[in-house]
Amino acid sequence: MASIKKGVVYLLLGILVVTQVYPLLWLILYSFKTNEEILGGSFFALPASPRFANYTEAYEQGNYLRYLFNSIFVTVITMVVVIVLASMVAYAISRFRWKLAPAALLVFMLGLMIPMQATLLPLMVMFKNIGILNTHWSLILPYIAFQTPVAVFILSGFMKGIPHEIEESAFMDGASVYRIFRSIILPISVPPIMTVCILTFINIWNEYILAATFISSERLKTLPFGVNSFVSQYTTNYGNIGAFLVMGAIPVILIYFILSERITKGMVAGAVKG
Amino acid sequence: MRRSEKKALKKSALLLTAGALAVGLAACGSGNEPAANTGGASNEAAANTGASGGDSGKKVTITFQNIYPDETSVTNKIMKELVADYEAANPNIKIELDSLNTDQQKLKLKTQAASKEVPDITIVNPAAQMKPFVDAGVLAPLNDMLDQNGLKDTFQKGLLDYYSFDGNVYALPDGNNIEVVYYNKDLFAQAGITDVPKTFDEMLEDVKALKAKGITPIAIGEKDTWTGSFLFMNILLRTNGGPGFLQDVMDGKKDFNDPAFTEAVDAFQELVQAGAFPEGATSIDANAGGNIFKTGKAAMFIIGSWETGNIDASSVAGKVGAFSFPTVNGKGDVNQFMLAPGSGFAISANSKHPQETKDFLNYFMTNFPKKKFELKDAVGLGQVVEGDFAAAGYSDLAVGILDLFKSVSGGDLAFDNTMNPAVAQAHLSSIQNLFVQKVDSKQVAKEHQDAFAANK
Amino acid sequence: MNVLKVRWWTIGIFVLPCLLLYMMMVFVPIVISGYTSLVEWDGIGVNKTFVGLDNYVDILFHDPHFWPAVRRTLMYAVFSMAEIPICLLFAILINRYVKRGNRLVSIYFMPVILSVVIIGQLWKTIYNPLDMGGMINGILNALGMQGHMRAWLSSPQFAMYCLYFVSLWQYFGYHLIIQFTGVQNIPSDIYEAAKIDGADGFKADRYITLPLIVPVFKISIVLAFIGSLQAFDLIMVMTGGGPAHATDVISTLMYNNTFLTFKYGYGSALAMTLVFICLAFTFVINGVFNRIEKKVG
Repeated sequence: MASIKKGVVYLLLGILVVTQVYPLLWLILYSFKTNEEILGGSFFALPASPRFANYTEAYEQGNYLRYLFNSIFVTVITMVVVIVLASMVAYAISRFRWKLAPAALLVFMLGLMIPMQATLLPLMVMFKNIGILNTHWSLILPYIAFQTPVAVFILSGFMKGIPHEIEESAFMDGASVYRIFRSIILPISVPPIMTVCILTFINIWNEYILAATFISSERLKTLPFGVNSFVSQYTTNYGNIGAFLVMGAIPVILIYFILSERITKGMVAGAVKG
Repeated sequence: MRRSEKKALKKSALLLTAGALAVGLAACGSGNEPAANTGGASNEAAANTGASGGDSGKKVTITFQNIYPDETSVTNKIMKELVADYEAANPNIKIELDSLNTDQQKLKLKTQAASKEVPDITIVNPAAQMKPFVDAGVLAPLNDMLDQNGLKDTFQKGLLDYYSFDGNVYALPDGNNIEVVYYNKDLFAQAGITDVPKTFDEMLEDVKALKAKGITPIAIGEKDTWTGSFLFMNILLRTNGGPGFLQDVMDGKKDFNDPAFTEAVDAFQELVQAGAFPEGATSIDANAGGNIFKTGKAAMFIIGSWETGNIDASSVAGKVGAFSFPTVNGKGDVNQFMLAPGSGFAISANSKHPQETKDFLNYFMTNFPKKKFELKDAVGLGQVVEGDFAAAGYSDLAVGILDLFKSVSGGDLAFDNTMNPAVAQAHLSSIQNLFVQKVDSKQVAKEHQDAFAANK
Repeated sequence: MNVLKVRWWTIGIFVLPCLLLYMMMVFVPIVISGYTSLVEWDGIGVNKTFVGLDNYVDILFHDPHFWPAVRRTLMYAVFSMAEIPICLLFAILINRYVKRGNRLVSIYFMPVILSVVIIGQLWKTIYNPLDMGGMINGILNALGMQGHMRAWLSSPQFAMYCLYFVSLWQYFGYHLIIQFTGVQNIPSDIYEAAKIDGADGFKADRYITLPLIVPVFKISIVLAFIGSLQAFDLIMVMTGGGPAHATDVISTLMYNNTFLTFKYGYGSALAMTLVFICLAFTFVINGVFNRIEKKVG
């Protein structure tokens, strides 16, 4: 009886593995197909003869290296700043005694509800006036601001659960609050910080609307622009798009697998009362 | 357990610090270039203000927003060549291309216009679609520049009218096309069709014959709503007995409840009911819809003549002919076409270097037709080109299309080039609806009339 | 709760840099949007007419597409939230039956990290008509169920459900990770104590796991709710809101009005409406959970 139950569970979990992993396999197959195979072929069909040219064309036309570099630059800066700023706020909200702490948390939570598209035009006007249009800062600044709410949410939840004794004893020893933050709180919070890293990375890496609107110079464009190069007014080059998407997804998948061991620990570690 | 956890934490703390260091270093290293870039940008800006002060020797950067991102396309090649040539001849000019696909360019220009930040050169669509931009004063008149180097005379007669408001020309078109019916001769033969349809009823018969053979009769991608509208308008052009229906509506002489309009809706629905279009058309984007025809899976493709070059480059090249949309219920004239004056190059009214930009665009437009002709992409060009197409190696299809051009005796513009954006959007989704369900034509007329009344 | 009493400027140092940036980038724009929602403006010209609450009145009483869009948006949220108990069930099962559950859960997370362009293309080919290689129709055809074959994304009745399903599939792993972490973090000594008292298996889940998981459950619910209200990219890629508005949600309606119809004030009013709906429901969800927490705690 128990083994039947176990068998059913494993079967179920196995099926889910297939449905959740198949997209990646599908994309890889897709990236080797010709336009005809993509438009007319069956869902499961293999490419008749893998079209490697999709990759060489995508690499050359899509400006891969330049865009990759820009994407990494924008994403990494955003990630680092989000972690520093959000953990500071989370610390203040969850550990300091001040009346406005709940209000501050609420203000950040409000940000979760604001659709990014609604801020497009006001930001454009603002950036024009401070003269940072068509620079990476016009992406990094709003990206940071829009990623902060989730980060504060996750980090403050975690920090609430850190036992008070740790801080108190350090305080007795004469450590400053900055020191406590840097050498006690931050190290303890590594798991949720990893979670924030990966969520920020995923959200920023594929962002396109702000990037397309604020960036005009070829040398500053990010990866999602690459797909553009294969969609002209009246024709679309699907195989190249597939190849470019595979190349664009590689860094995310790498980062994900490097961090994924920790992400499961960090997501909501603090929210459970032990 | 607690103890081991603490140990693990210590270890991960070390890792984090190391990681942070590495990231920090990377950020510093990679920080150099964009930082230099921003520096460069502000230097340029400084130089720019200098240039507008009259010092033409300074470095000038012109931003050229365009809709030709695909490097394999002819227009992209021409654009890059002309830009490179111009930069070589004018070392103080740098032209920065901002290549976007059509949808993104529309969104971007809209946002830019709202903040008065329009790039030096941009792309607008003719007539009603560019009117909001002209009214807002974000585009510069190009009359003086058209007079230089005889550029004005290269354009087909009357074409520039679609880009003119109050006697000023605000954009220069990249083409001028008509709507035609491309057909695959092999597939027609397979279905036993011997001649192209002369009337709408014949066309319906052909659709049924093709359908019976398991061939998709008419290719279309209706996710991008304009495709279905463009076809519908061709029917309206016939049932109205000639051009000008929408203009009459705007002038208050007619309204959408007019029989000409409901008749067109009914005829269009007959096509849908006969199974003329691919299944699931409303989730296929325009380019994918075209591919159904270009991969030999559909027999007809009713679209602008701009597709000629793409069809000649596809796997059905050589098997394709073209004809004019047939008469509907005996009405209309096959020499009248849906006209599609192309996207136009416009110059920002706030450009920091208006003169340099105009000079460049003048050079660009003067050489554009020649290059197009050389690269065998001159069908549907908005400018007059000297040369024998057949002798230059143009395909039979291309020559056939050019003959159709010669027969044009008038026509209408697309709906969204005629009516304001709000009415146009209501129309587009109303027509898209016809692809998925049968609607009483009076109801369709009412939807149109209501939208028109609400957005006058 | 908050132990450290620090001087006000210390709080300032910790909070202000982030708060200022956040205010500049998120709040100032939304306040500007709040203002534009009160004017009639095409988004380009200088002709802005102050119309008070007219845009809101139009949205609430005259826009035939608004209420259906609200209904779809809320349905989206309901479906997304209904998925979470299932995720919790799987989290419990994985925790019980799988040794290195972390690995498995990471694999399930995969669809979340792929870009919407990829997800959209993939599911379009799944939903496609038979002659375009659609998977579902292919299977129906093979099973001899031709009567049920249809162009899924072009069907006004079915298209929206097809989109809900893609979202459920994509975010399954996301919420599973949250629930799994919650389940994992319940100290095992509690279960051991319960076992001695005769409660194990699903009985233990009923009396230990469920009460302890409530806060984590709430996080998932709030994130699912807010996420689904803003669902945008996937719909734009797959149907663009069509056929004929059949898959329009509030955010796509807002986008179309702002950028295609050139009704900037109206689009802003839609954006503000979306924010208000988010706010109202978040308070409701919070209230409900506070009561649950009080009950079980």
